[in-house]
Amino acid sequence: MAEAKGLPSSDLREISDRVLQLSEADQCRVRINSGWRGYTRVATNRITSAGGSNNTSVNITSVFGKRVATVDTNRLADDDLLQAVRRSEDMARLAPENPEYMAELSAQQYQQIQAYYPSTGELEPGTRAEAAAIAIRQAQNAGQIVASYMDVRAGTSSIATSNGLFASHSNTGVAYTLTSRTPDGLQSGWAGDEANDWSSIESQRVANDAVRKCRDWRKTALDPGEYTAILEPTAVGMLMMRMMNSFNQRTADEGRSYFSRPGGGNRIGETLFDGKVTIYSDPSYADAETAPFNGSGQALQRKVWVNAGRLEDLSRSRYWAAESAQDPLPGPANLIMQGGTDSLEEMIASTRRGVLLTRFWYIRGLNPRIISYTGLTRDGTFLIENGRITRPVTNFRFNQSLVSMLQNIEMLGPAVRVAASENSSVSAPIVVPALKVNGFNLSSVSGAI
Amino acid sequence: MHLPQHFSRRDFMRLASTSAASTALLANVKPVLAQSLTNFEKALLLYAIDVAMDAGADYADGRVIRTQFEAVGTREQRITQVQSTDSFGINVRALVGGSWGFSATQFFDREAISAMAREAVAVARANNAVAPSTTLLAPVDIYPDASWTTPHSIDPFSVSLDDKAALLLRANEEALRIDNIRFASSSILSVKEQRLVATSEGSFIDQTFLRINPAMNITAISDDGGDFQTRGATVEPAGRGYEYVLGLDLVGNASRWAEEAAMKLQAVSVDPGEWDLVLHPSNLWLTIHESIGHPTELDRALGYEANYAGTSFLHPPEEVLGNTRVGPDFMQFVGNRSEFGGCATTGWDDEAVPAESWPIIEDGIFVDYQTTRDQAAWIEAQTGITRSHGCAYGQNWESMPFQRMPNVSLMPGEQDLSEEDVIAATDRGIFIEGRGSYSIDQQRYNIQFAGQVFWEIRDGKKYQMLRDVAYVGRTPDFWNSMDVIGGDSTYFLGASFSDAKGQPMQVNAVSHGCPIALFRNIELINTA
Repeated sequence: MAEAKGLPSSDLREISDRVLQLSEADQCRVRINSGWRGYTRVATNRITSAGGSNNTSVNITSVFGKRVATVDTNRLADDDLLQAVRRSEDMARLAPENPEYMAELSAQQYQQIQAYYPSTGELEPGTRAEAAAIAIRQAQNAGQIVASYMDVRAGTSSIATSNGLFASHSNTGVAYTLTSRTPDGLQSGWAGDEANDWSSIESQRVANDAVRKCRDWRKTALDPGEYTAILEPTAVGMLMMRMMNSFNQRTADEGRSYFSRPGGGNRIGETLFDGKVTIYSDPSYADAETAPFNGSGQALQRKVWVNAGRLEDLSRSRYWAAESAQDPLPGPANLIMQGGTDSLEEMIASTRRGVLLTRFWYIRGLNPRIISYTGLTRDGTFLIENGRITRPVTNFRFNQSLVSMLQNIEMLGPAVRVAASENSSVSAPIVVPALKVNGFNLSSVSGAI
Repeated sequence: MHLPQHFSRRDFMRLASTSAASTALLANVKPVLAQSLTNFEKALLLYAIDVAMDAGADYADGRVIRTQFEAVGTREQRITQVQSTDSFGINVRALVGGSWGFSATQFFDREAISAMAREAVAVARANNAVAPSTTLLAPVDIYPDASWTTPHSIDPFSVSLDDKAALLLRANEEALRIDNIRFASSSILSVKEQRLVATSEGSFIDQTFLRINPAMNITAISDDGGDFQTRGATVEPAGRGYEYVLGLDLVGNASRWAEEAAMKLQAVSVDPGEWDLVLHPSNLWLTIHESIGHPTELDRALGYEANYAGTSFLHPPEEVLGNTRVGPDFMQFVGNRSEFGGCATTGWDDEAVPAESWPIIEDGIFVDYQTTRDQAAWIEAQTGITRSHGCAYGQNWESMPFQRMPNVSLMPGEQDLSEEDVIAATDRGIFIEGRGSYSIDQQRYNIQFAGQVFWEIRDGKKYQMLRDVAYVGRTPDFWNSMDVIGGDSTYFLGASFSDAKGQPMQVNAVSHGCPIALFRNIELINTA
């Protein structure tokens, strides 16, 4: 295997050891991120920007008693590191006590996870430009104008503590997304892929799909209202990634979450969603791998959050676990919603009247008591009548409770990795199926294309 | 400067008070603390430009950027965060033919910097080979030795963590005294950004920016534990020193914010339908940001942001400039990079273009976009303006500069109407304070905005508190429904530290000034 981008683990260990030796605090934690990011951006059928940078930053947490402060620097010379250590110590001495501070972890056992793919780590500007050129040609042949973005990350992160912990992990990620529009600005189509492994990205297919969607989508009128909706996997992922933060026991116990039980406590153990809903996280999930540890060094393992509609567990920090006499449970680093066997074609064929949604835009929280969000459809919204797509329709704003959506699922497709971040940067891996749901609330028309 | 004809002297003074030409007139300007950039870094930046030009660039510019953050966070009577971040590096942007290339490094040695500069040129050359294009850079005066610092009295980095934490904990304590208030969190984020900008044309600018973001959030839980409501404090980020935070009276205001959080538990859920709205500036600024600020970005209007941030309803420029009505005759929007306290206020931009102010919407008509040097020529035929409006910005040393939003502000009315005057102008309306959930489509038509506190207005007076309110509409219809506008005494700067645009996504800090204003017959939905 070629050498990973960024500093090798041995260098990260050396820097960590140096910081820990310099430390005069009661306890110290050192986290290092070292890596490379490259990108190529296309708009108006030309490459408008491309570049890359390497960066290594060292994050030092110093602790005196329960006084804690953190300093982050990207200056790596001995003097600079010494200065950063002293600064974090000075800040910690000045900081008021944090009663929620928990002692640094000692050495832990982690899963071995291979998440670094050389195909991604060695993805050169020339290869990125070739993918861009394919998309530009494809769009030009169809009389369209393309805007695309390829985001590539590769690097190594590490954690070390003064109590004997050291761990490092190398990771890669690539996201490729593409929007194609007609010169008159009246049609638009989108497609995208995200993976840890560049060879999983089908750049030709992404270009084909976006150009086809643009060709097929020219809006016609449709009234807002509640519709049976078929959400393509990207649309599902953009909503479900919002669920990651909801699985939190403390906010539930404190009475400010959908998972709060009226009168106190939480709803772990209750069946809250449709029986077809199973949600879990798994740092070793193929091509959606994450580090096997989180920012405080806790081990991450496969964890089922919702099983067949039943809330199995909620994450709790080490502090909250101690307060509630439970074991700590770190939050998810990726999110996987178990899929089904229904194809998109079968979902469409089984729908008397509904809409097919490609992706969403500007999703913002509305009401945490019902986990509701607003946002807009974008780049491919179609009407389904009597089992087939009959015409493209206008975009809509939605106002939708995710709880209600997960209680009204009719069909699920196979789970796939999606580019779920609105800005199309490599993000926490999201693996979800296409869904057919009832009563999806398209609340008003959006004139946007 | 390009200023609207009907600007009052007071408006002009506000906009001009911190412009590059007049900084010497300001009182209370103190140099920031040590750790300034050295001649060593300045020499390396000039070296990088030379290497890029020797490698065949037609034009090159570069920046040394050091960004320092300090965050202090609390909840109830606890400290949750004490953190400082220091990120330092150098970049070069090179133009070959009509294509840009960019590269950056954290290593300040000649070898690394030479490699970086040559890489920027190589990428530009490769891009131009794949898809050749034409780029015209707008003319600019040369500033070989210029400097600027955010006007301030107290550098936030000179205030101890203890003092900051004590202030926040006192504010939390006040909030927690109120019945039903169970949680109160607060924080202060301080930013210091040191920037050297050099161009192959000979400009060299040394600037230091200070920005500060105080925040507070209060949660009330009902007696039976079955409901909770939150109230975000009406405080805004600003491009100012710590004196700004001291002037906010967080401790004195915390009780009112907490009382309002508790009142929301008992508030009446809104009847959806059409209502008049009186929007406090703490709410209206975000609507301005989304529905006026973003659609007047020229790159967005021309499709450069189509894959993420979207396009604009204000396009194509040759058809919409000068003849598109966006609001009533009395509606004046100004783009500016020189407003006192603005988060996007600067001396020069990332292309060494001096800060200026210019009309974007004049007498309700759309007249100009936000531009950078490579964009001005695109609309010169319509605007007659050959120069950039100075809107280039890259978020840090790793980021290529591109067109970012200046402060875009709604000018107050000629008549100095007060908040009470504007409330008195409606028989049946809702007064909205603070920013809440916000969302707008990718062409900036369909808006939906909530708030923090909602008061029903009956017969020209606040009557009772409401909840679960969000207003919706279509941008031009919304602005054309503006009927009454407050005066200068109601003018207030709202701001965000996290305006997102571009791929790779970059954030920009930006402010929007506005007075209170009344909008007729706006559709409301109930978000419960």
